Amino acid sequence: MSAVVTTPSPLLTAPPPAPRRPRVLTVAAAFAAVASSLFVLTMLGAYLQVRGERLADGVSALPEDVVLPLTPGNMGLLTLAMSVVTVAWLSWSLRNEDRIHAYLALGLSILLGIAFINTTAYLYQQMEMPFDLTGTSGLLYAVTGAHLVMTAVGLIFLAVVGFQAFGGQLTGRDAEGMSAAALYWYVTVAVYLPVWYGIYITK
Amino acid sequence: MTVTEDAPAAVTAASEPTAAAPAATGLAAILGSGDHKVVGRLWIVASIFHLLLAGAAALAVAAERMDLSGVDIVAADMLGPLYAYRSIGAAFLFLLPFTIGVATAIVPLQVGASTIAFPRAATAAAWTYLLSGGLLVGSILIDGGPFGTDADGVLLFVSAFVLLLVALAVAWICIATTVVSLRPHGMTMARVPLFAWSNLVAATVWLIALPVLAAVAVLAFIDIRYGGGNGFFGGGEATLYGRISWAFGTPAVYAFAIPALGVIGSVVPVFTQTRHQRHRIAQGLIGAFGALSVGAWAIPGYGSEAYHWLYEGPWVVVSFAILLPVLGLFGLWAMTGRQGRLTMASPLLFAGAALTMLLVGLLAGAVQAVEPLETLVDGDASPLYGTSWSSSVAAYIGLATMIALAGGLVYWAPKLIGRTFAEGGTRVVALVLLAGTVLWAFPELIAGLMGQPALPLMGPIDNTSTIETLNIVSLIGGVVLALGAAGLVALFVSAARSDELPGDDPWSGHTLEWATSSPPPVDNFASLPEIASEAPLYDARHRSEEGSA
Repeated sequence: MSAVVTTPSPLLTAPPPAPRRPRVLTVAAAFAAVASSLFVLTMLGAYLQVRGERLADGVSALPEDVVLPLTPGNMGLLTLAMSVVTVAWLSWSLRNEDRIHAYLALGLSILLGIAFINTTAYLYQQMEMPFDLTGTSGLLYAVTGAHLVMTAVGLIFLAVVGFQAFGGQLTGRDAEGMSAAALYWYVTVAVYLPVWYGIYITK
Repeated sequence: MTVTEDAPAAVTAASEPTAAAPAATGLAAILGSGDHKVVGRLWIVASIFHLLLAGAAALAVAAERMDLSGVDIVAADMLGPLYAYRSIGAAFLFLLPFTIGVATAIVPLQVGASTIAFPRAATAAAWTYLLSGGLLVGSILIDGGPFGTDADGVLLFVSAFVLLLVALAVAWICIATTVVSLRPHGMTMARVPLFAWSNLVAATVWLIALPVLAAVAVLAFIDIRYGGGNGFFGGGEATLYGRISWAFGTPAVYAFAIPALGVIGSVVPVFTQTRHQRHRIAQGLIGAFGALSVGAWAIPGYGSEAYHWLYEGPWVVVSFAILLPVLGLFGLWAMTGRQGRLTMASPLLFAGAALTMLLVGLLAGAVQAVEPLETLVDGDASPLYGTSWSSSVAAYIGLATMIALAGGLVYWAPKLIGRTFAEGGTRVVALVLLAGTVLWAFPELIAGLMGQPALPLMGPIDNTSTIETLNIVSLIGGVVLALGAAGLVALFVSAARSDELPGDDPWSGHTLEWATSSPPPVDNFASLPEIASEAPLYDARHRSEEGSA
């Protein structure tokens, strides 16, 4: 029997691989989410201040003939609450490399995000409120519009990393992009809570 | 049977490097680069250009104040816009971008990263800054901006300002993410060098303040565009400056100085040839300074008069409390100096000048807050706030930061441009900038005490002749500052053109940026030393000295 000659594998002598990039996208998404939230919340603060001053002067915050329907606002909250579950489902599916569930969860998440935008558009239509700067109506559009922009950014982020995942870039333990998008989405939903309470509940 | 584990020849051939594309040079190298050193230089050069413009506006306003009887030197309707541009240009087109430039170039090197996080986003932020800065200056020239009378010009100003804030926020996200996520093995958060740490703190503070400022600006846009003089808050264009000026008033103005503390903290141990004393405590003190400089809650005009105590109480507390971290750092740097051997090189001279001016500014800010202690009781407005005392506090803080960062530019020049500044000339510039700051800001402080308003409102006030004399001294200070800035630019250009190479570590630095060549290659490091403390190069040097002994 001839001798077995072994030369060291290049894999054994090679330098250790560079450490995985530690949550770069998640950290950036956290900073961006905080910045976006503060943008929306500052506008909400301005709205509440003007509203409070008008009420203190004995004037209604919104024009007398405008009715702010509660149902679309509540439906918006419910839609976003459901999307939290589907986005968590999406993250879990990608971590476990379950593509079928990931497809379903991404589709549902995007559908719910679009449904929220549709709900807000329906609310605008129902209110029939002119863009008036003497009261709070202009500010109401500014606050809800700013949150809609944040929602749209979150949706685009989810869609981009979702499709990257389907392309095979973000699977299993490397599903960091999805964690980042999910984090931004959760903050978007959390910011809607004070918007919902400050605008639709307190009216 | 013979079994070999040699790699197949085909694999070896495939892994051979292919011929590299020729490196771009000149303008193409700048336009097409995502290298953080190139992007940092872009920020620095553009911000210096804006310094010249904002400086010219400041000198014009100062010259106008020599004679308070009327507006003689500039067109009467341009005085307000020039004053506003002086502040906004100095703060958001020069100081913050200059800081971002130095941080973009140096922070990845200091934490041992091969690149900045999101290099393309960092590059996009720099180009957006150039675009928005140009639009902002253009809007001032067409009589837009705060106090402007051209409605379209004002709207252009607000749009450009919001775009600028977005660019600054994106740049800060890249810097902060680099510090948090791109540290190599061994570089724990507690070992992050003070300049990188201070920029992480500054990024966090600015990522709180910039969105608030952007929201206020967007509301102002809607107000002016759709509401004329009867918008949400009334006043339209006339109130624009008041709405955004909190960003360079106390306490928000202190946020500009956070990276200055990092520069001083990086320079002091190197030029005292010893380890920084209590590095973690220094990190904590810079963090405390940052936390106290969050000023987004102190927006005038958005709070009800009934709740004035809600704003003024914290304002008084912050104005005094913010002195403590800087005094603590001063103590640590004094301890560091006592432990080592002082080498009076130009970066240390800049650091000393900056620290002195910063302390004076903070002290003046605290004095300014004394009067509101009474307003807590009787509700009167502070007589100092709103006078040129306030603008002098901002000037002290801004100029101290500028001097510190100029020191940083000199200190890190080998890494920024691959050359060193001429030592003799740089020392003179440091002293000229210090003298200019004192001459510019101190008379303004006294004039504020005598009742000169911060805004250049012409007309009779008490002690007019004394105030005019003080304003002349202040103008001389402005000219001295301009000479200092011109001297620094000349030294920068001269150094960049010099053929003399500085070597990789001309200062015997302590932190990782000195472990690579000057200037560093595109991917920064061929290899990193062992990182077992906040000063890995100092450790390595002492280990080898002990070994040879």
